[in-house]
Amino acid sequence: MRRLFRSHVLGAALVALALVAAACDGSGGDGNGNGSLTIGAVGFAENQILGEMYAQALEAAGYDVERQLNLDSREIVQPAIESGEVDIAPEYLATLAVFLGGDGGTDPAEVHAQLEELLADRGQTVLEFSSAVDTNAFVVTEDTASEHDLSAVSDLEGIAGELTLGGPPECPEREFCIPGLEEVYGVEFADFVPLDVGGPLTVEALAGGEIDVGLLFSTDGAIEANGFVVLEDDRQLQQADNIAPVVSTEALNDEIAGILNGISAALDTPTMTALNAQVTVDQEDPADVAAGFLEDSGLI
Amino acid sequence: MSEPGFFADVWSYLTTADNWTGSLGIRTLFVEHVWMSLLAIGIAFAIAFPVALAIGHRRKAEFLVVSISNAGRAIPSLAILAFLVPFSIRLGLGIGFWPTMVALVALAIPPLVTNTYIGIQEVDPDIVEAARGMGMTERRVLWGIEVPLAVPLIVAGLRIAMLTVIATATLAALVGWGGLGRLIVDGFAVQNRPKIFAGALLVASLAIGVDLLLGWAGRRLSPRTSGDLSERQAKANAAAAVG
Repeated sequence: MRRLFRSHVLGAALVALALVAAACDGSGGDGNGNGSLTIGAVGFAENQILGEMYAQALEAAGYDVERQLNLDSREIVQPAIESGEVDIAPEYLATLAVFLGGDGGTDPAEVHAQLEELLADRGQTVLEFSSAVDTNAFVVTEDTASEHDLSAVSDLEGIAGELTLGGPPECPEREFCIPGLEEVYGVEFADFVPLDVGGPLTVEALAGGEIDVGLLFSTDGAIEANGFVVLEDDRQLQQADNIAPVVSTEALNDEIAGILNGISAALDTPTMTALNAQVTVDQEDPADVAAGFLEDSGLI
Repeated sequence: MSEPGFFADVWSYLTTADNWTGSLGIRTLFVEHVWMSLLAIGIAFAIAFPVALAIGHRRKAEFLVVSISNAGRAIPSLAILAFLVPFSIRLGLGIGFWPTMVALVALAIPPLVTNTYIGIQEVDPDIVEAARGMGMTERRVLWGIEVPLAVPLIVAGLRIAMLTVIATATLAALVGWGGLGRLIVDGFAVQNRPKIFAGALLVASLAIGVDLLLGWAGRRLSPRTSGDLSERQAKANAAAAVG
């Protein structure tokens, strides 16, 4: 009877210990400018490379950095910045502006100003934007392009009803994806297959003929590597999606701004595309690719 | 999440007609989920049943049951999925259906093998010997005595396998296929939490419903389990085979 009692007490103690351990969230600082910053990125190559660039450059300047580079979408990153879980995230001007209820636009300076206003109420700051632009690209295989004589998105108008679109699961809710295609191009696909965020699943599905049109990102190295054809955005559905870091205003200081702006200034679209290809095509690690770039540009 | 508003949103999601129609609508996803699960169990059963019967009846190579069972529990379904997707595409078999099917079959086989084997193996050897002694063929012994007595355990194995398969079939959504997992994955991508919850609720309801159904079916199919009765039944079978 004594032995039973003792094992029950021991069991209860272990459970209590486990509960306490679980409740004590061991993850690092809250990043409120106390030298500890959390970088959040969505889980696709380019965003991860950018996240790593920010992280490594800040670490070289003596900051304590935590990385969360596999988040699923803006719907996760934005609330995370607002709650302080994430301090810095690489973003795209127009898409973020529209996401937050703005109008977007094709002039980056204009959209940047718009975004500054939209973010001010949210306790966030958008830093200087890069000349590097990454927009959604609607992509087909060479065969599909020649079969249906496609070179621009507007060419899809008549035949989209026979084709399948594949892309990120949030496509049906993104202005620059399905709703925009319908509004601006009058294009309605026969079916939509939710795959991944401009990643290997979409590439494989397109190459294998499982989908006819894929949504990839314009700087994706896989496009050239697979001989895909990017349909020209002739009616300007896509807008000024220049890369710019978004930072929680509380965590921001001049030094951080200087470092991140330096990175944005050193980037342009061809460079970003080449870096992306190193990850998606050459299978290199985003951290290594970022390090290479920072060193080559003399940023660290 | 504990506000009544959240559950009202979930209810509203489930009762909006629009959400039930179309290729990503609840009805389609539900049907896809059910028939993917049935197909997986069917394939797994076709593989597991004969193997377990052979091992249990002949009482040879019994170590295999333990090996299969342990290997099965160690299988990382997600890894199988990720690994097989490129092959599936290259072979022109679609993106996510067959990789998920392989993972589900792999998960379902161990409980089916284990339970069928134990069910056969637990049949009183005296009965089996008596039957053989009376001249029953091996096949009659197996199908007339061992299998009927093993039915409760076989059905129990089916229930376990079915639950696992229904719950895990949600993974198909991660690799571009359908099924109720779609509600969870797509809901997550846009942080539509009522949708995520609705998806989880539907999967759980399906699993519980099927489990209850199989429980009832198991009771209907089992011979009377009072020890005396089943022995008498077995001896009766044995006598009928000879006389």
